[in-house]
Amino acid sequence: MSAVEINDVVKRYGALEVVHGINLSIQPKEFVVLVGPSGCGKSTTLRMVAGLEDISGGTVSIGGRTVNKVAPKDRDVAMVFQNYALYPHLDVAENIAFGLRVRREKKDVVNKAVAEAAHILGLTDYLKRKPADLSGGQRQRVAMGRAIVRKPKVFLFDEPLSNLDAKLRTHMRAEIKLLHRRMEATSIYVTHDQVEAMTLADRIVIMNNGHIEQVGSPMDVFLEPANTFVASFIGSPPMNLIDATVSMVDGKARGVIAGAAGQSLAIPEAFARNATDGQAVKLGIRPEAMLVNADASAEAVDCVIDLVEPLGAEALLHGRIDDHTFIAKAETLSAIHDLADIRRLGIDTSRMHVFDAETGRTLKTLA
Amino acid sequence: MDNRIREYLRTLGEDLRRDWQLYLLLAPMVLWFAVFLYKPMDGLQIAFKDFSIFRGVAASPWVGFAHFQELFNNGLFIRAFFNTIIISSIGLIFAFPVPIILALMFNEVQSAVARRWAQTVVYLPHFISVVIVAGIVINFLSPSTGVINILLKWVGLEPIYFLTQPEWFRTIFIGSSVWKEAGFESIVYLAAIAGVSPTLYESARVDGASRFQMMWRITLPCILPTIIIMLIIRIGNLVEVGFEYIILLYQPSTYETADVVSTFIYRTGLQGTQYDLATAAGLFNAVIAFVLVYSANRISRKLSSTSLW
Repeated sequence: MSAVEINDVVKRYGALEVVHGINLSIQPKEFVVLVGPSGCGKSTTLRMVAGLEDISGGTVSIGGRTVNKVAPKDRDVAMVFQNYALYPHLDVAENIAFGLRVRREKKDVVNKAVAEAAHILGLTDYLKRKPADLSGGQRQRVAMGRAIVRKPKVFLFDEPLSNLDAKLRTHMRAEIKLLHRRMEATSIYVTHDQVEAMTLADRIVIMNNGHIEQVGSPMDVFLEPANTFVASFIGSPPMNLIDATVSMVDGKARGVIAGAAGQSLAIPEAFARNATDGQAVKLGIRPEAMLVNADASAEAVDCVIDLVEPLGAEALLHGRIDDHTFIAKAETLSAIHDLADIRRLGIDTSRMHVFDAETGRTLKTLA
Repeated sequence: MDNRIREYLRTLGEDLRRDWQLYLLLAPMVLWFAVFLYKPMDGLQIAFKDFSIFRGVAASPWVGFAHFQELFNNGLFIRAFFNTIIISSIGLIFAFPVPIILALMFNEVQSAVARRWAQTVVYLPHFISVVIVAGIVINFLSPSTGVINILLKWVGLEPIYFLTQPEWFRTIFIGSSVWKEAGFESIVYLAAIAGVSPTLYESARVDGASRFQMMWRITLPCILPTIIIMLIIRIGNLVEVGFEYIILLYQPSTYETADVVSTFIYRTGLQGTQYDLATAAGLFNAVIAFVLVYSANRISRKLSSTSLW
């Protein structure tokens, strides 16, 4: 039995439909991350699971029970909010205890649960402080403490790290992952940050415009993007998408890059099978699959480099193939200036993806 | 020392030059204070003088604390002073919480239309002149044609001459003041409630709090600083009871409970032309008010770290 089942769920605000019938089944103890650009419906979906938004159509069930009409407090979920939602007039201990207090738990039960949560989250020394006297990371830990003392069936996280600075975010990300391992509770986590999604998730759900674009393990969605949206959303920097036309020569399919030069790249067999001659496609090339020093025999394209961004161990090359802009990733050589003079880049076509230009879908038959 | 003053004047000059637009905006208010509040303070000296309008303020001879002595030996002033305190204190206990309760109730009204209606209905009396409110109250309580007495007669009770009986005055005064002002005063609290982050309520809903628990454990504590500020202001006004409304409602038969310091000042000062005595009464009132505000603010800062200054 799945922990959370989302069936054909629709959310409408008046005439405006923002979530268009999504389906998702979440297994017990699974850590699922909903990721997508702002306005894609991920938070709304989470809030429908929490019961903070009415469900306009379809059903949500938690632990096998349909909860469409069940009040949030009776759904056995706990939620961590982006802005922490701590009660400013209560100290840390009372904030953590809030959920138990309003349920009129016995005093010693509450105290024990608070002490335990504080120990797990390293808040023991701060129990008597007010939220205003805590740092952002500590506040977020208090918010998590408030969730874990309730021992809910499902944890819901609504962009919990968005208000933290980059360094703290990385740190808290690891803490959340460890916490999940320790609590073994089903978790649904919403973020717009694909790095957070990749590092935390057992399964990633990529959403766009109120639809689910793809569901899969982090490596699945990275290696086998179902469409151009996923391809350009996952990965940093994202996959380069270059307009091209399929051309069949001697039974071999090649993608001819749109432009005067007529450069072409070999389309991998898995994609070629579904390609037709003259089909308009987008060639998806990861920045990592563009090679600065490739063998002379390898597939390659002529290009111009406009800008080199050194990151330390590697550098990002911003350039153009005909009129198509791209970003390539290169290991920094001894002299970084050489990178700016590159006129030809090798392409590892075995790692290339091909998408239909019109539908945006991959030409590969996904399992 | 001299250097410090020069330094201060120099920075003040720089500030004025740099932010002259802001100081220009401030100017009318400063002017208003100067003309209507600071300039008249000069006249306070007549509280210590045997003032005569023919001799003028400056030429009247000093008499020290003679007027204050006279006041404290005057049973009518003492009565007025205690009446003021009693009316204000009862008002503080019964009238102060009403706007808070109203605001909390408005906040719980689910339908936006119903809420707007309810709010408008309770704000309205604020915009009615006290003269008219007094008229309404007098009509309402009239022994022959007043609604209350008609109802009393219906259930077989004798009509009551409310406005001539001292024991009813405080109830009538405070009750009708609440009716007139509570709705309008609730705006302050509604604004404070609007400032409470909605995620606090969402979080509490997920945590399992009922509506009442949310009101008691979130809304009320979150607006507590506002309540305290309003309370300090109210305490500062303990010795001030709006005198127009009292004058409109009281009559000699109810002076016993209705006569307050401001009406006492009005009668002795303006009707009895004892300006010096009336000024002494007013000054005494002001000193008490200052002490009250100052202490309330100190206590609040100690207890809740919320204060006016």
